[in-house]
Amino acid sequence: MNVIYPLAVPKGRRLCCEVCEAPAERVCPACTVTYYCGVVHQKADWNSIHEKICQLLIPLRTTMPFYNSEEERQHGLQQLQQRQKHLIEFCYTVAQKYLFEKKYAEAVPAALHSLRFRRSVYGLSSVELVPAYLLLSEASLGMGRIVQAEEYLSQAQWTVLKSTDCQNATQSLLHRNLGLLYIAKKNYEEARYHLANDIYFASCAFGTEDIRTSGGYFHLANTFYDLQKVDLADTLYTKVSKIWHKYLNEHYQVLSQAHVEQADLLRKRFVNDTGLDEAQEAEAIQILTSILNIRESTSDKAPEKTIFVLKTLVMLHYLMMNSFKAEEYAIQALNLAKKLELSDEEQSNIEELLHLISAEEEHPIT
Amino acid sequence: MTTLPPILMTRPKLIDLARQKLPCSSRLIPSAQLIKEKEDIDHYVEVNFKGLSKEEVAAYRNSYKKNICVDMLREGYHESFTELFALMEQWETLRVAARRRSIFWTQKPLEDQLDKLDYLYHHLTRAEAAERKGHFEEVYNNLYALACFFDNAEDKWVRNHFYERCFQIAQLIKFDGGRKEAEAHAHMGLLYEEDGQLLEAAEHYEAFHQLTQGRIWKDETERFLNMWACESLLRTYRLLSDKMLENKEYKQAIKILIKASEIAKEANNKKMEGEALYYLGLAHLAAEEQNIAMTVLKAYSKISTDLQDDLSLGRAYEAIAKVLQSQGQMTEAIQYLKKVVNITKSNFQNIDVVKASTMLGDIYNEKGRYNKASEYFQQAFDTTVELMNLPLLDETKVHYGIAKAHQMMLTMNNYIESADLTSLNHLLAWKEQRGDGDLEQVLPQLPDEDCESLKPQF
Repeated sequence: MNVIYPLAVPKGRRLCCEVCEAPAERVCPACTVTYYCGVVHQKADWNSIHEKICQLLIPLRTTMPFYNSEEERQHGLQQLQQRQKHLIEFCYTVAQKYLFEKKYAEAVPAALHSLRFRRSVYGLSSVELVPAYLLLSEASLGMGRIVQAEEYLSQAQWTVLKSTDCQNATQSLLHRNLGLLYIAKKNYEEARYHLANDIYFASCAFGTEDIRTSGGYFHLANTFYDLQKVDLADTLYTKVSKIWHKYLNEHYQVLSQAHVEQADLLRKRFVNDTGLDEAQEAEAIQILTSILNIRESTSDKAPEKTIFVLKTLVMLHYLMMNSFKAEEYAIQALNLAKKLELSDEEQSNIEELLHLISAEEEHPIT
Repeated sequence: MTTLPPILMTRPKLIDLARQKLPCSSRLIPSAQLIKEKEDIDHYVEVNFKGLSKEEVAAYRNSYKKNICVDMLREGYHESFTELFALMEQWETLRVAARRRSIFWTQKPLEDQLDKLDYLYHHLTRAEAAERKGHFEEVYNNLYALACFFDNAEDKWVRNHFYERCFQIAQLIKFDGGRKEAEAHAHMGLLYEEDGQLLEAAEHYEAFHQLTQGRIWKDETERFLNMWACESLLRTYRLLSDKMLENKEYKQAIKILIKASEIAKEANNKKMEGEALYYLGLAHLAAEEQNIAMTVLKAYSKISTDLQDDLSLGRAYEAIAKVLQSQGQMTEAIQYLKKVVNITKSNFQNIDVVKASTMLGDIYNEKGRYNKASEYFQQAFDTTVELMNLPLLDETKVHYGIAKAHQMMLTMNNYIESADLTSLNHLLAWKEQRGDGDLEQVLPQLPDEDCESLKPQF
């Protein structure tokens, strides 16, 4: 059932591999609408995205049922489009998450799916294609295929250049990826230019103190760090951690407020919520951990900053209901604070955090 | 995953045709090679043609605002960028809000005012660089320069923003003995004063005063900072007390004014001290503590005499006269007011002449000596004619008219009361003519002293 024979396929119908578009030799037994050239690609696709969208693909790839009235036909078409749009977003988020987790190879099939659906919904020269190109370029970059990444980025840049109504958010993403590309090529001059553009567009779209802008700052900081301008990089890292701290602290305060107000009522469970999607959570972890690493390597100069980052990380993990890691970071922060003999207020702050986390552990969410 | 599928691209038809026709281009050039070729071409163009570098292209394609922002960020001045960005946003919201109010509002967006953007860029980046190195004084200077640059009616809020920044920075500057901090306090005081928040303004000015006490700092115009502090502080105190007097909080107003006069005394400036005493006296008068008011004002008049300052002496006498008037000591009050009239006349202070004359007229009017009253009111009226001040002119006109009427009423009453034929004839004659001042011409003038007993009963 898994294997198909290309010669047995009806004439004029070409089945090609989902991943590489070569002639197909296998089919997915679950949905029977997805073909592969070999086991390798089938496995890759399954692990990346197909497992999650297998059943969703069936209505998209089989012919539409016969409708009796025009109205029904319109409705069917609309539904199809909606399904496609949903898949676009879903694949996009999944791919993004893989990227932040540095699983680049896994990200590619998901990103390809997103690109393919975008193409069929919006057409070939639409700006909507750009985010998918960017994902693919980022994945290629992660796998060390700089030329391929540049190819995708050139395509994306060209699309943006031609369009008149490109959103600031998309522009910002494009420039961020271009910046990353030039960092990989060690052309720091260009990288700085593109990252600056990224921050500008992101600020126009979300404001200067938004978590979505922080990525640009982070990469810019990395560039300066590589250029040995440590003090400059330091201020930028501080800015990034401040942005995240502010954001997480707001959510944390809301939550702890709720805890205080209803402590005795029925022992009600509170949903810990970061207000972030999965990709953003992964990004947060990646950014904050690497800042922490940098801070720790220079912690003899400014240990307060290390504690600050640690506190932010504690809040992040706590809100993500990852209390084991949160506790680990909190203890680390507390030890550091004690060693430095910081003010009592600071220490009690951390202790309070620790207390909250351990309370969470005693009543694990079932 | 070994290979990825090729990217689908839309190519213009022409290129496809060229690809097929031209023998030199093989059909399948890998895009990696194309990219490399493009880079070579870019490089070639950049080197060989002036004005086609990437920066220049970007400068041409994008708005000036964007270029400046990107320039800042490239060099890592992210705080300047944040600040500039926030300023521009606020500018825009203010502009939109103002446009809604009036159609003819003409303020340009900040993006179009290139000189301002340049100035902001220059000083903000320098301030940030200095801040990174810990040279707070330079930071302060740059921010202050920006505040001065935006010191006009339209951009007042920008100036205020930078004054606040200056204030924050100044608190970090330690080694200059607090001079910058003092200046920053002064600016903050001014800011609040303009905003009408007098209490906050007074707080800042107090800090300013305290910091400058005993220092010989001077500003660019060779003015002592301490003097400046005293002046501003006294001004704020006065405004504050005015407000309190309006709300009838006499005790607090007096307390503040006493503080003010002490500060003025410490500053060793007679003129300021006198000024403070004057307002203190007025406050006491308003609180109906005439005796204290009297002593305070006497001290003020003494200072004025010492300084040979006729104007303030005039004011002192005027205030004293007011006190006396409220105590009912009319003769003394009249004496003082006459002095005031003389002093102000010799100094050509027309408005003060009018004021004093009107007051004198009022007093005489109350005493029933209408001749004198109308005489002084006439004087006031004549002076206002010279002043070309319409509301004041109207006021004195009315005063003059009332006095005149009183004067005529008296004589008329007399005639009516005497009730003989000659008087009747006189009255009839006057009634037929009814000219201005006819009654006085027609009727024999009564002596002034008698008038007092014949005061009309209204």
